[in-house]
Amino acid sequence: MAISASATQAEKDAHRINVQFDTLIIPLVVLVFAAVFSFHFALLVGDWDYWIDWRDRRWWPLVTPLAITVIPAVFGYFLWERLRLPLAATLSFLALGVAAWISRYLNFHLFANFPMNMVWPSTFIGLGLIIDCVLLLTRSWFWTGLFGAFAVGLLIYPLNWPLLAPFQVPVEIHGTMLTVADLMGFEYVRTAIPEYVRIIEESTLRTFGEAVTPLTAVFAGFLNIMNYWLWVWVGYLAAKAIWLRRIV
Amino acid sequence: MSKQIEMGAGAVDTPRAPWRAIFLALAGIAVVFGLYRVYQHQTAFTFGLDYFSDDFQKYWMTVLYVELTVIPLLGAAIVGYLWKTRDRHLDQLKPVDELGRYMKLVGMLLLFVTVFYLTGSIYAESDAAWHQVTVRDTDFTPTHIGLFYFAVPTLIVLGVSSFMYARTRLPQFAERVSLPFAIAVAGPIMIMPNLGFNEWGHTFFYAEELFAAPIHWGFVLLGWAVFAAAGLLVQVLTRIIALTKQMNDDAAAAVQPVLRQDQAVAKAA
Repeated sequence: MAISASATQAEKDAHRINVQFDTLIIPLVVLVFAAVFSFHFALLVGDWDYWIDWRDRRWWPLVTPLAITVIPAVFGYFLWERLRLPLAATLSFLALGVAAWISRYLNFHLFANFPMNMVWPSTFIGLGLIIDCVLLLTRSWFWTGLFGAFAVGLLIYPLNWPLLAPFQVPVEIHGTMLTVADLMGFEYVRTAIPEYVRIIEESTLRTFGEAVTPLTAVFAGFLNIMNYWLWVWVGYLAAKAIWLRRIV
Repeated sequence: MSKQIEMGAGAVDTPRAPWRAIFLALAGIAVVFGLYRVYQHQTAFTFGLDYFSDDFQKYWMTVLYVELTVIPLLGAAIVGYLWKTRDRHLDQLKPVDELGRYMKLVGMLLLFVTVFYLTGSIYAESDAAWHQVTVRDTDFTPTHIGLFYFAVPTLIVLGVSSFMYARTRLPQFAERVSLPFAIAVAGPIMIMPNLGFNEWGHTFFYAEELFAAPIHWGFVLLGWAVFAAAGLLVQVLTRIIALTKQMNDDAAAAVQPVLRQDQAVAKAA
């Protein structure tokens, strides 16, 4: 009786300690995702996702998957290899989504007075579910990269299409045809517009999307396979518990 | 900070996280960063557009001078206090106390990442939005004064304080240097030199405000320093597991003589 009572008490103590650490560490990890993903996304995708008129047929579907795969790959290694949690992609995309909605509303809408219709963030949570499910089913970084990361590049445009479609409708202004998104962009001139025009108008094939978009998506998918593997390797390095005797 | 649990004839402590202090600190961060944000909202586009105006000097440069004075002094005071009150007998630290200190450390890291979120998302992107609608006249804009001289220095103070807490109060971190921890803290510190490069470039060769421009990629690299949080968590969690196990073993060892005595009494009866 006494032995089992003491064992039970010890279990209760251990449980009490674990619950306290969980209560501290789980929000810590979610906040790390929100913080590092927002910062990383702002400085590598940034304008391509801030503005409806930048979500074009060629750069947005290429730049975005390459950037958003980094965090799920790096922290995916830690969560899967150390804690056996296939959650990194879904959780980090969710954290990015929540942080992006807060920031777009506070900064771009309330502070700088852009309409929310122009600055809403794209959605990626479905892509996170795909990566995590592939990892859970295959338990392999190789296959997760091959199928999961390829799907991220391939599906970013179709996943966001229901949100984007109304802004891709053609309109005619002063004899020139352009999209609703372009028209909004011309109405709200920003300092980055000259640079944007230089980047996006370097082209021989002028189109609203059509064949260019799926080709970009497939190209992005292929690139993203190697991108994912590279960042999983970085995640392996980042999760190393390295101790030094001294720094200098 | 620890709670005593009666275990038969023995008594074992279980550590308790400093919840009150953590919630108070989180509330303090929310109030200070929230008030700063309200001030920025009210005065950035009214008194913050022209560096050379008297209003700018009054409403924004005053804020800058206060930040440049108060935050380093506060940081030096915290780090000095942690060093002065360091534990000089870490070899005698009991597992239960060490676990309690790990709870404090994780609590400090929670404050650090909270400010990292505010800095990396809300404050950084307020600067993104600002630069899309205004052309900078100097390096000092209302959003820069908030981001680079308030939010980032606060982040540095919290990071260095957490590092110093671990160095002075936890045996594992006192004996050796945690490379992941050092990287995670060094990233925000190195943002300041990179800011110098950023401002130099913006006044020299890149006036346009494309936020994903190569001139900003140094910031991304330094943000990636937080990837090392994974290695730090491995170090912390591994030690917590070992300490919890040791605590349970100690508790079992404390109960054994009492059990043997009980068994002897029962046998005699």
